[in-house]
Amino acid sequence: MTERTRPRSPHVQIYRPQLTSVLSFTHRLSGIALSVGGVILVVWLLLAAAGGSAFGGLNAALGSWFGRLLLFLWTFALFFHLCNGIRHLFWDAVLGFELANIYRSGWLVVVASTVLTVLTWVIAMSMPGVA
Amino acid sequence: MIIRRSEEQPRWTLLRRFPVPRGFHAASRSRVQAGREWPAPEGAGNVKRMQVYRYDPEGDERPRVDTFHVDLDECGPMLLDALIKIKNQIDPTLTFRRSCREGVCGSCAMNINGTNWLACTRALDELDDPVTVYPLNNLDVIKDLVGDQSHAFAQYAAIRPWLRASPPPKDRERLQSPEQRRELDGYYECILCFCCTSGCPSHWWNGDRFLGPAVLLQAWRWLADSRDEATGERLDELEDPFRLYRCHTILNCTRTCPKGLNPGKAIAEIKRKLLERQG
Repeated sequence: MTERTRPRSPHVQIYRPQLTSVLSFTHRLSGIALSVGGVILVVWLLLAAAGGSAFGGLNAALGSWFGRLLLFLWTFALFFHLCNGIRHLFWDAVLGFELANIYRSGWLVVVASTVLTVLTWVIAMSMPGVA
Repeated sequence: MIIRRSEEQPRWTLLRRFPVPRGFHAASRSRVQAGREWPAPEGAGNVKRMQVYRYDPEGDERPRVDTFHVDLDECGPMLLDALIKIKNQIDPTLTFRRSCREGVCGSCAMNINGTNWLACTRALDELDDPVTVYPLNNLDVIKDLVGDQSHAFAQYAAIRPWLRASPPPKDRERLQSPEQRRELDGYYECILCFCCTSGCPSHWWNGDRFLGPAVLLQAWRWLADSRDEATGERLDELEDPFRLYRCHTILNCTRTCPKGLNPGKAIAEIKRKLLERQG
């Protein structure tokens, strides 16, 4: 038999998505999204402080439907990362590792971050001058 | 929605695999192609389809997935029974590891319908049709469902998984109170099937340096042992950004353990012990 390089058995290509892995991937993705969003927030503040027409351009872009969609997703990323981060703090204290509790806290994070996101937007959109 | 025991089957059917291309993160030699169809015998009534990963090291073909039609009326109750039936009656070249057929040896660990479990303790009637059967994830495949576990066992050997202690006095044994013995419950039962390590995304990406849940559970088993005197030494060996801290508490390990153990918790215990040591 000739020496051949063996194939590697498939992993992420076939492994079933579960609440455990899906929330972990979402935590990583929301962290990346927040890093990008953080840069944009700083640019927005710098332009606002500097004054001039550049601020108006960025502000209008963020106020467009697409800009608002991004802001909505960033809001969710913020609350998800916050809530799941608190979940991680419990784990760091070796609490909540029973399988049922892993699932309970996972769904709690999903529900809490969704509710907080929607609530934030309901309040924001009902402020005077925001349509 | 709430999974209470690792033996429960996943219930959501929306997302059976991650939305990545089939060849994602896989060298071309590892990409799986369609295989052949093995029909059921004439007159078979209760047929289940089994999609089984095949790889023949003696050919030049890439791995493939064959579909076997198995008559459940003429088959034992467990997935392992179906695999043995295929080997006996349909295709004798089908290759897999098995030994005890009762969940103590860990040989028949494989990826069944997308999650890792022992073929001998998974009942066929619990499994959706078609049943997909792959080798444990992220191993070099020797043949069909047999993966090369040399790396996993080398990682196990690296933690030196034995009692490290000075010799006891000649006239007495190494005593342990019932309470001290209880500290090992949930850890000594590990059968080293590597279902957890194979199902750990962090080990998929960094398996060369990250020890993975099975080995880290064993590391904790020795840290938790009142008779062991090498706690500081063991912690020194583990305190490493890759060996231990590539664990991001994903917890696929605890979800998949066929013995119902909790590798995720064991790793959290190690991290806490390291933190306590810092003072």
